[in-house]
Amino acid sequence: MNVSSNAMTAIKKFSLAAFSLLMVLFSATDADAQCRTFTKKRCLPQLEDYVQNDNYNTAVLIPGDEAELELTFFGDRAYRLLVCGHPVLGDLTFQVLDSRGNGIYDSTDKESNHFDFRVANTQQMTVRVQVPSSDAVIEHEGCVSIMVGSKG
Amino acid sequence: MPARERRGAESICSNNESEYSMRRVFDRLKPGRSASILMALPLFLLFSCGEAPQSGDGGAEAAQTVEMEADGMMPARRQKAFKKIFHAVPSPIETALLLERSGIRFDPEALNPIDKALGYSTTAAQAVNLGIYAGDLSYSVIFNQNQKSVDYLNTCRRLCDGLGVGDIIDGDLIERADNNREVRDSLVHIVTETFYDLNARFRENGMEEVSGLMAAGGWIEGVYLGTRNLSASNEDLKLRIAEQKMTLDNLLGLIDSYPPTEELTKMKTALSEVEAAYANVKIQQNAAAATAAEDGTVVISGGPDVRYDDNALADIARSVAQIRNLYAQ
Repeated sequence: MNVSSNAMTAIKKFSLAAFSLLMVLFSATDADAQCRTFTKKRCLPQLEDYVQNDNYNTAVLIPGDEAELELTFFGDRAYRLLVCGHPVLGDLTFQVLDSRGNGIYDSTDKESNHFDFRVANTQQMTVRVQVPSSDAVIEHEGCVSIMVGSKG
Repeated sequence: MPARERRGAESICSNNESEYSMRRVFDRLKPGRSASILMALPLFLLFSCGEAPQSGDGGAEAAQTVEMEADGMMPARRQKAFKKIFHAVPSPIETALLLERSGIRFDPEALNPIDKALGYSTTAAQAVNLGIYAGDLSYSVIFNQNQKSVDYLNTCRRLCDGLGVGDIIDGDLIERADNNREVRDSLVHIVTETFYDLNARFRENGMEEVSGLMAAGGWIEGVYLGTRNLSASNEDLKLRIAEQKMTLDNLLGLIDSYPPTEELTKMKTALSEVEAAYANVKIQQNAAAATAAEDGTVVISGGPDVRYDDNALADIARSVAQIRNLYAQ
């Protein structure tokens, strides 16, 4: 009886552990799929007539996180840099830095979630995004997508 | 940010009445059943999070809003903040646009023949050549080669089938491309959307190696197509080729950001030959500055000064052709 009871307990513990592992794996995959849907529905249309870069720069972030994107912008071309995050994360801020780390643009205190510009000479730049910290008891994670569109 | 969106998002999983009801249910449980309930709890929580549409508050519209809000958010699964670093490379469409604007002529002989696609049997060969064909597809689209565009999209579809992501380029997409073959902007949109979906799927499926190899293939083909007739090229095209030293840097950063595999290491070794050729392109980094033009557009000027000579470009052309032909053979 005792052996049977121990075996049952072990099976239950194993089942619970396996189930929890499956849930974590499932929710991670699900989060990625949700991010793709979120980006296509909510972010992509904001690029308007700019041709999107096909890189998938999307991550699930939490309050206090940062994200950076390093890429090359080509000379004599117009760009829209769009930082699109789920509203649950609050107002994201972002900066554009040149190849030497000098700030070129800062979205802090600006209403827009995008920056339209033209590049005179081809150059590498870094986009740095901050998710504001939160005092909430239950923190939520949300998708953040850094999108780049170009034209002209 | 609309107040309505914020309100809906904040209210998720905070229904106190439901919490109280659940506690009463647990109080009444017999001990023997609690383990099964405990095991089912995560599943219940997963599907119960979210705010139901309020009756009399817009019906279908409210339901749609809630569905939109649920996309892309859930309770955090970690507590410690981190920094996520992305590396992006130009899309094949962007590279093809640069080539077109530099005055290059369409050269059908430079494309990788579509009948070779059947010979790419390993995952690595399919991934690199998907990138190479994406380069050819983009080049065909930008130069208004309508039939070739559809043919190369079909070839990409074949390789996607082999990689297990055939549903991204399905019959409907091919038909859409075929119906829009005369409209370049529509084809550009279809191609960029398709490869964005592919990159997203590779991420979702943990196929970083395939993603990295495809990006490398696309980059290689872009530079390969741009360097087929260097002796007749103008200075603008030569500068564009030299500037790809910066995008090669982005590409190597992208490959390094993925867990190392034998095939990614092999690709890095092959690209190191190209990197060595690019060593003769000198880039002096200068500060950049943003200024407002007369029409209000922000212009970022300054930045790097790129120096090169014809010998350096010839070396680049040779090394890129070598790696391209190695993978496309």
